[in-house]
Amino acid sequence: MLVALRRLNRTGHVGLAILLAMVLMGLVIPMISPYSAISSAGEQFEPPGPRHLFGTDSLGRDVFVRTFAAAQLDLALALAGVTIPLLIGTIIGAMLGSTKAPLVSLLWQVVIDAINAFPFIVLLIGVLGIVGTGLQGLLIALLLTGWARYARVARTRALTLRDVEFVQATEVLGYSRARVLLGHFLPNIYSETLAYGLSDFVLVIITVAGLSYLGLGVRPPTPEWGAMMADGRLFLQRAWWITVFPGLALSVTAIGVALVAESVTSRAKGEE
Amino acid sequence: MAEALLEASEVTVTFGDRLAAFDAVRAATIEVAAGDAIGIVGESGSGKTTLARVLVGLQAPRVGEVRLEGKHVFGAGRKARFPRGERWKVQMIFQDPYSSLNPRMRAWQGVAEAIQVWRGASAQEARMQAFRLLASVGISSEQAEHFPRSLSGGQLQRVSVARALAPNPRVLIADEPTSSIDQSAQAQLLTLLRQLQQERGLTIVFISHDLALIRYLTSRVYVMQKGQIVESGDTLRVFDRPEHPYTQLLIASIPGRTQSPPLGYEKR
Amino acid sequence: MTLTRQRVPGNQDAGAAVENSVLLQVQDLKVSFQKSGGRLLPVIDAATLTVHRDEAVGLVGESGSGKTMLCRALLGTLGRHGAVATGGSILCGGRNLVGAPESTWRHIRGREIGYVPQSSLAGLNPVLTIGAQLAESISCVRRMAGRDLQREALQLLDMVRIPRAKQILGERPHQLSGGMRQRVMIATALAQRPKVLVADEPTTALDVTTQREILTLLVKLRRELGMSLILVSHDLAVIEEVCDSMVVMYAGLAVEAGAVELLTRVPRHPYTRALRASRVDTAVRGRPLETITGEPAAVGAWPAGCRFAPRCSLADDSCRQGLQPQLRPVGRQQSACIFADRMEAQ
Repeated sequence: MLVALRRLNRTGHVGLAILLAMVLMGLVIPMISPYSAISSAGEQFEPPGPRHLFGTDSLGRDVFVRTFAAAQLDLALALAGVTIPLLIGTIIGAMLGSTKAPLVSLLWQVVIDAINAFPFIVLLIGVLGIVGTGLQGLLIALLLTGWARYARVARTRALTLRDVEFVQATEVLGYSRARVLLGHFLPNIYSETLAYGLSDFVLVIITVAGLSYLGLGVRPPTPEWGAMMADGRLFLQRAWWITVFPGLALSVTAIGVALVAESVTSRAKGEE
Repeated sequence: MAEALLEASEVTVTFGDRLAAFDAVRAATIEVAAGDAIGIVGESGSGKTTLARVLVGLQAPRVGEVRLEGKHVFGAGRKARFPRGERWKVQMIFQDPYSSLNPRMRAWQGVAEAIQVWRGASAQEARMQAFRLLASVGISSEQAEHFPRSLSGGQLQRVSVARALAPNPRVLIADEPTSSIDQSAQAQLLTLLRQLQQERGLTIVFISHDLALIRYLTSRVYVMQKGQIVESGDTLRVFDRPEHPYTQLLIASIPGRTQSPPLGYEKR
Repeated sequence: MTLTRQRVPGNQDAGAAVENSVLLQVQDLKVSFQKSGGRLLPVIDAATLTVHRDEAVGLVGESGSGKTMLCRALLGTLGRHGAVATGGSILCGGRNLVGAPESTWRHIRGREIGYVPQSSLAGLNPVLTIGAQLAESISCVRRMAGRDLQREALQLLDMVRIPRAKQILGERPHQLSGGMRQRVMIATALAQRPKVLVADEPTTALDVTTQREILTLLVKLRRELGMSLILVSHDLAVIEEVCDSMVVMYAGLAVEAGAVELLTRVPRHPYTRALRASRVDTAVRGRPLETITGEPAAVGAWPAGCRFAPRCSLADDSCRQGLQPQLRPVGRQQSACIFADRMEAQ
């Protein structure tokens, strides 16, 4: 996968730069800022100025430091919410597509199709209803539902690979199932699911933000882009900066991820 | 005749379900003697590739069995499991060179893997042996570092041969190995296979629709039509005095020759 | 079993071309791929080919030889494949077709120069009936309707010896066998009565018995219609059986040309000789095949000097360092080898 990173073209580099900048600022700014991200730091509704670069919100909290503290949370959540389901889903899908036991495969296929039948956000809300809202709930919901999408892609790809000559050769060569799965199936599957995953990154960030906007995500005073945008909703006329800046940060991050995803997929397509 | 090294006995392969079943291969019996080069010829739909897949354990027959060195090794129903410990003895190269190798592995890696699995070598040892094995089939160390997409059809087939040779097999089944490659590459590959048979005593089963190829390389031939073996015997006899009308038709269809080429050959 | 071939005077004879019977003359054609940034990647450097009336010319070459591109150049479809003719000429009916506009090509394609592709499945529209596709082709050259149209279509199917022609008219491509489909492709091409038919590996995808039928058909059609043929094949045996003369291509060049008999008996280019010696169908059992070392020169990676030199047993320094030799007359053949005169019969 490190090799994959090295092969990014200019688009990918720009995207990666944006993301790295966001991560860095997310780490550094809350540390060096004199203001707290969760408690009042001055006047309410102060417009952006030299003291509060992004202004303050309805409780007088500095929007600048909150925006970047939120970056930490949103990025970490999106990362966990994508990479773990990606790994699990790819492996399960690959195993299902390569197995010779049709019944097991069929059973799991039903489960996967059932999960995939629901729109992502509906599914998340459903799970949140069971496990409860908040950061923990969000994470559990993302993990429980996300893997099925990748499993489906991986399984389909594995089914095709099964009939290709080099996989048949592994059977003639008497290789163990583990070796065939890890050495022959997965390397020819992961680039597809990875491409999926990269574009899902954006989806997860936006979904988390959306859920928080609806009040189903993180609880105050934890800074999170969606929650911040929701808070500022009522004050758009008077204090636009409360909503706009987190929104901008969200968009910029989404663009960064999209650029990286675009770069990876076009590279993969160009090669095969 | 000496005991056959590899045989298929009354093999029938049926595809489809109850409503639309058809026999791709019906009651086929093949005997391959050690050190021989035999051919299985037929046109499309003859079942020759299906039969080849049965011989190598990729396709389970509905009826019949495959015997290796006289012992049952693969068959129908519950016996449709080729014992892994015997796998090394029968290897295969496929028709399409472009999908015969893992596109994510460099040429040497695929060969080294086979060496590691079957010769118990360490990763480093296997890598060295892989390069050596590839060199013996005419793949330079520079070419061995390439991924399959950078190699030509002929080179890919030779890499496949190297990989198939890694476990030191007794029998190599070549399923239309030259159909998708240029003529000059074909000559190189056939020369290699012939060399392997004559110098290393490798037993080879050629599946082909190219009669000229079979005539040149093999000593025994099986002719298949619509799943059945319609004629078999000594290659030269079959070509000179074909008995079955289908064989006669096949031979008459060979393009270009006004008469049989000179029949000089060395007795084995 | 062989088929008698008509001996045609003037086939590829160097310098003895009978002017009024030359239908198609390709001279020093150069074709390149158009890459990004305006770069040109040469794929044919010097192709020369002459087709006389009532002549069958074979075009032989391996991958990278440029023979497929030459076919496309003859049909004016280079643009569709990102290529362009950059030099030389294609003379047909007194016109040079290199650089001709699409309007000119629309008259030539199909009507002067016909085409039968390798894959009949790809060449036929899967949703139209055979009759409809034949009708389309016929309508390009004649105004016909109703019963006249059907009669013409049946006549075409009869020409290619398709049984139950009336029934076939109503069927769709997937219902026919490969051999039947190929006959339909030929009929479609014949509908426009081309003077020259370009058949690009017409039998490669077919079974050997079907191949025999199609080759027999092509020879018969040539005789009955007096139509010329350019047969592209990698199979020398097929060329020998059907063609009067042949052109051998290697790495974008025509390296030898002449009557099939001559090239078979006395090849005057090391590549032709090596191809012949590496054939399986004339190989002697028990004796090793002659192989050509190395790989065919790939497009974009042509060696300096003579392109065949790295694999040639006769090559010396002047071959490797000099310019690529051009096709020149050697007796009644043409060869691009400086040692052509010295190559004697085997």
